[in-house]
Amino acid sequence: MRQTIRVALLLTCSLAPTAWSQEFDRRDFSGTWDRYPQSLDSRRDPSVVPAPVDIPTPPLKPQFVAAYEADRKRRADADKRGEPIATGYTHCLPDGMPSMMMAMFPMEVLQTKRQVTIIQEAYNQVRRIYLNDTTPAIEDAEPGFWGHSAGHWEGDTFVVDTVGIKEAVQVRGTPHSANMRIHEEMRMLTVDHFQNEVTVTDPDYLTGPWKWKWVYQRRPNYKMYEYVCEDNREYADPESGAARLRVVK
Amino acid sequence: MFDHENQVKMTGKVVEFHWQNPHVYIHLEAAGKDGKVREWTIECANPGILNRIGWKFNMIKEGETITVIVAPLRTGEPGALLKQVTLADGRKFGNGAPAGPPNIE
Repeated sequence: MRQTIRVALLLTCSLAPTAWSQEFDRRDFSGTWDRYPQSLDSRRDPSVVPAPVDIPTPPLKPQFVAAYEADRKRRADADKRGEPIATGYTHCLPDGMPSMMMAMFPMEVLQTKRQVTIIQEAYNQVRRIYLNDTTPAIEDAEPGFWGHSAGHWEGDTFVVDTVGIKEAVQVRGTPHSANMRIHEEMRMLTVDHFQNEVTVTDPDYLTGPWKWKWVYQRRPNYKMYEYVCEDNREYADPESGAARLRVVK
Repeated sequence: MFDHENQVKMTGKVVEFHWQNPHVYIHLEAAGKDGKVREWTIECANPGILNRIGWKFNMIKEGETITVIVAPLRTGEPGALLKQVTLADGRKFGNGAPAGPPNIE
């Protein structure tokens, strides 16, 4: 009798291991992902995984707060007037890091032995995270939009450090220096969700760590679209900085 | 940039249709609120967003008559953001979540 039960259990496990036990490879992020939750998409159920909280106000050093607040107010006032200020997108510029990881559009993760590659559909953004590597010293880190990323596993958590982000590449107008570091801890929450806990530090601009979480939900069988910022009719008004639309005259 | 409160419904002939990033554009010869026929530059979302809500790159063709609901430019120039399009065959499409739904019928 005991033998029969054991055989039955083994059969059940081998036939449908995922459904039966919800076991999955917690070190495999490969696939296509949406940011979560997608507020206007009825297929998403925010009760499955708690929605991440919004990015908090950055802990800027006191001498940088006034300029930051003034810029936020200028943009908010312009939005209220219905004349939004142009952004990097108006100039066909991609998000860069870390904003790319908000997953404005679907995001694809590819894992190979030596690197994890993350592709964001918007602006064809690509970041390469080299495994078991180290980030370069700040003075050797050539600044770019996605910087230099090194990743390693700590248990089931994928830990990534990034340096070398251009000073003009900012999260919501937050200034930063060449000394900014982006630390990410990615972990699977369920077979169809993973979380990225982001910590930004910058001894020149911030009083302490600036932290938030992004969550992603699997978008099965999705094929990524290309994105070339080919013919942008929007432009920035040279005087006011407001976004304008070029029309046929 | 766009006046979302005072939306306009227009029917006209498609002059050009550009399926491209960062935005898809429809050029439509149509009369705005002032009754004057002009060539309107109508901004849509991008191909990725539109594909995901059922659009197809060739579903609008030059010469066809379509009806649009748009949020016009505040400057009064003949430009607008699409809210909804009704194709010649009667099918209706929105312009994705960022643009939002129309507030007129």
